[in-house]
Amino acid sequence: MGVPPAVIVRDLRKSFFDESRGEVKAVDGLSFTCYPGEIFGLLGANGAGKTTTLRVLSTVLKPTGGSASVMGFDVVEDPEAVRRNLGFYSASTALYPRLTARETLEFFARINGYPEAGVEGRVRALVQRFGIGEYAHVRVEKLSTGMRQKVSIARTIAHDPPVLIFDEPTVGLDVLNALEMLKIIRELRGEGKAILYSSHIMSEVEKLCDRIGILHRGRLLALGTLAELQEATGLHYLEDIFVHYVVQAEGAAGARMGMLGELETGT
Amino acid sequence: MRRKPSFRSDSGTLAVLLRTELRMLLRDRRTLLLAVIAPLVIFPAYILILRFVESRERKALEEAVYGYAVTGSQADWAAELVEAALARPVLSADSSFFRPRFHRLEPADPFAALGRGDLRLVVEGLSAQEWDSLRAFREEAPAPSPESAPVAPVDPRRSERGVPALRLHFRGDSDFSTEAYRQLRGALEELRLARRDSLFRAAGFPLPLQEVVPVEAVSVASRAKEAGVFLGTALTPLLVLLMLSGGSIVAVDALSGEKERGTLETLLTTGARRSEIVRAKLLAVVAVGLAVAVFNVVNLVLYLVAGLIELPASLAVELRPVDTLLLLLLFLPLALLVAAALLLVSGASKSYREFQVYWFPLFVAFLLPSLVGALPGADLRSLLALVPVAGVALAVREILVGELDLPFVALAFLSTTASALYLTRLTEASLSNEKLISGADLEASDLTGGPALFPRRVLGWFAAFWVVFFLANLWLGGPLGLRGQILLNLLGIFGVGSWFLVRRYRLDPREALGLRRPPPAAWPAVLLGAPSALLLAVSGAELVNRYVLPVPEEVLQGFQRELLSSDLPPAETLLFLVGFPALFEELAFRGVLLHGLRQRIRNPWILAATVGMIFGLFHVSLFRILPTAWLGFLLTWVVLLSGSVYPAILWHALNNALAVFPHQFGWLPSDASPSAGWAVPAAVGLALSFRLLRIGGRPSPSRVLPKASPGA
Repeated sequence: MGVPPAVIVRDLRKSFFDESRGEVKAVDGLSFTCYPGEIFGLLGANGAGKTTTLRVLSTVLKPTGGSASVMGFDVVEDPEAVRRNLGFYSASTALYPRLTARETLEFFARINGYPEAGVEGRVRALVQRFGIGEYAHVRVEKLSTGMRQKVSIARTIAHDPPVLIFDEPTVGLDVLNALEMLKIIRELRGEGKAILYSSHIMSEVEKLCDRIGILHRGRLLALGTLAELQEATGLHYLEDIFVHYVVQAEGAAGARMGMLGELETGT
Repeated sequence: MRRKPSFRSDSGTLAVLLRTELRMLLRDRRTLLLAVIAPLVIFPAYILILRFVESRERKALEEAVYGYAVTGSQADWAAELVEAALARPVLSADSSFFRPRFHRLEPADPFAALGRGDLRLVVEGLSAQEWDSLRAFREEAPAPSPESAPVAPVDPRRSERGVPALRLHFRGDSDFSTEAYRQLRGALEELRLARRDSLFRAAGFPLPLQEVVPVEAVSVASRAKEAGVFLGTALTPLLVLLMLSGGSIVAVDALSGEKERGTLETLLTTGARRSEIVRAKLLAVVAVGLAVAVFNVVNLVLYLVAGLIELPASLAVELRPVDTLLLLLLFLPLALLVAAALLLVSGASKSYREFQVYWFPLFVAFLLPSLVGALPGADLRSLLALVPVAGVALAVREILVGELDLPFVALAFLSTTASALYLTRLTEASLSNEKLISGADLEASDLTGGPALFPRRVLGWFAAFWVVFFLANLWLGGPLGLRGQILLNLLGIFGVGSWFLVRRYRLDPREALGLRRPPPAAWPAVLLGAPSALLLAVSGAELVNRYVLPVPEEVLQGFQRELLSSDLPPAETLLFLVGFPALFEELAFRGVLLHGLRQRIRNPWILAATVGMIFGLFHVSLFRILPTAWLGFLLTWVVLLSGSVYPAILWHALNNALAVFPHQFGWLPSDASPSAGWAVPAAVGLALSFRLLRIGGRPSPSRVLPKASPGA
């Protein structure tokens, strides 16, 4: 890649402290980069540290060690600038039920520093792009799940950020809505956005991501394009590649004892 | 590569947040219902229903015919007396006369009938002997068991001279029975007075009894002032109640509601700063809290004007425009404090339900200080001025009474404002707290404990020490006397407390208490600095009193009383007022407290001011807080610059000795104080002292080394 990375993560560490378990290293020495026009996939089972990593990047959590930057802004030193360059979408983030779809988009564009003169035009374009014109003046609480999902993606990119984070975006969606989501994400890559995509669904990651990082117990086990990972392991399917690395890290017994039970192979 | 977005100004982001917040609130049915519909409909409806029920009940009680029975050994006499009494009109509660309606019944067992509710009253006629026996029995055996109750001896002379008596039996749990008792008792007392009067006049007494030494009460206060006392006491609690109830509707939705809905994480990943988010929400809570208060007051006025509610005569207050302005100024920080507290609780709650659990304690915490105006003797010129809400409540009362004391009103304003700002800061910090999102509720030091945890806990411990200190002095201060009190405070609380903290958090005593050899230059610096600082404090106070802010005479007298009211012999004065305070207070405040706080507060000026203010607050009397805070501020700098607690101990001892000995031993007249002219040389002496400390000092590597310091 000729352009500098939009996201740089270096030796990132994040620990939580729990009365019963003591120190829990949710992220343990993670390093990767993500370039403009690239979808970087973080693949891992539940509890692997994907969401924690993305929350550190969105400045909601503070790292215990290492560093991370978005568009050159450090997540600890300049969190507001990081967030203004970032669109964060997660299955757990919600919309304000008492705002209309249009008000939602206006609010998120303005709050993220989009130039005031361009807000109206930007919102009009988003309404048209996502086909929510008919419902633009309807309160979010009255919208269907699919329509809410569209408003949610639209609000994520309302301020036209160069970096987008999608944390398990298809969780809870039916097949058609999930496919629609993946289509939009591909379009956004085409617009030059740097996209971090986390999932535990192999098929999604396999089809969507340009490069893949396999995350397990907070550590990055492997990183590369699907072809590079296939070449390194001699395996064809991402599911097999994933199991290969996890078994290597944990031992075969650990893998057999249900460690992989939380993984979905998808379609 | 770095793409700096077109940053909106803070006020712009704040406006967007606030506008959206208010828009969402106005679309919330609960807000409209509780903030608008309730005041407009429910409260007046409640008052009207209450009035209707009350008037109906009053009418029923007045129109009722009360059945009564007469019994006892003197029943005939009693019946005659009751009939005579009921034949006279009785004075009612509204100062009009009316004739009571009673109907005599003759049940077989009057007391059983009273128990069943068949009649309202039983009048028992007792002979003089019976009455005397009863009285003597009550006086000599107040609580005998029925089985063993001895028959009380009867004084035969009293029986001979005595008169028969009436006992009125009624049921206190019945409105009708109680009203019957009240009316008959009033009628009997009227009759007694009339008969006594007739007897006196028949015996030649020259005038009616009511005209003997008539007493008339005259209040020299105007009606407006009397009204001010009433309204001033009631206004703050009323407003606090309205702001709490109105503000809580918004506050609960603002943070705990957002958490529950999952919108908080969405908001936290936007470009808005935490401070902007909190301020927007705070303004929304203040706006709604004030709006609800205004709605209620306007509503009340409308109903008064419409005649649905009568205005009590005691509310005829006269307010000058400047007083109205001051009242508004005082209520603003109060509204801000209420909003900040509600928001803080909302932030700490994970859900609506949890917020509701915390709401009542919060309500009590605000209502109690707001009621301080009702306490007899509560005065703004006291420590109460520094207590948030309580200070405002007293200031409001004094403004309404017309006794304006601006310095103390300002103090009340500042204390409530400072608390509001502090709570706002806490709420901002809570939004940065990962517990909001991650659910992990511990930090590394919580698990390891020890020195790493100490900086996070030190303020909590000193707050606990303050409570123990305050309560111990309140309850034990008198019985222990001065010596016992000083021993309890210094050895018991500061000494044992410091030792306990060093042990509990496994602190290195040398490091935690600052037990290091100071640089030689520290000693001459202390010998020059201690008298200079004391002189500067006293002469500076004189200057401020003369040119900036005149201090009331009672404040000055109070300060002198606090400092000089000791009659200990010289050796004990040296021990109890000089040696012990210097040693134990320095180890606690410039040792343990400073050790914990220096890891949290990096700016040495703020650090010294914080340690100084906490030190001041432990000298509970209002007159001593500022002077001791000043001393604590300087002593913190001494330790920071010298790296040792020993020079601070010597400075403290010298300060106390110089403050106490000259007056106590008559070296100076009790009213003597340095003139304002001493301020300049004292300031020079103090600056030189700190210069000496800075040049010759040897701060510990772990201690904060200030970039700038006094005398630098």
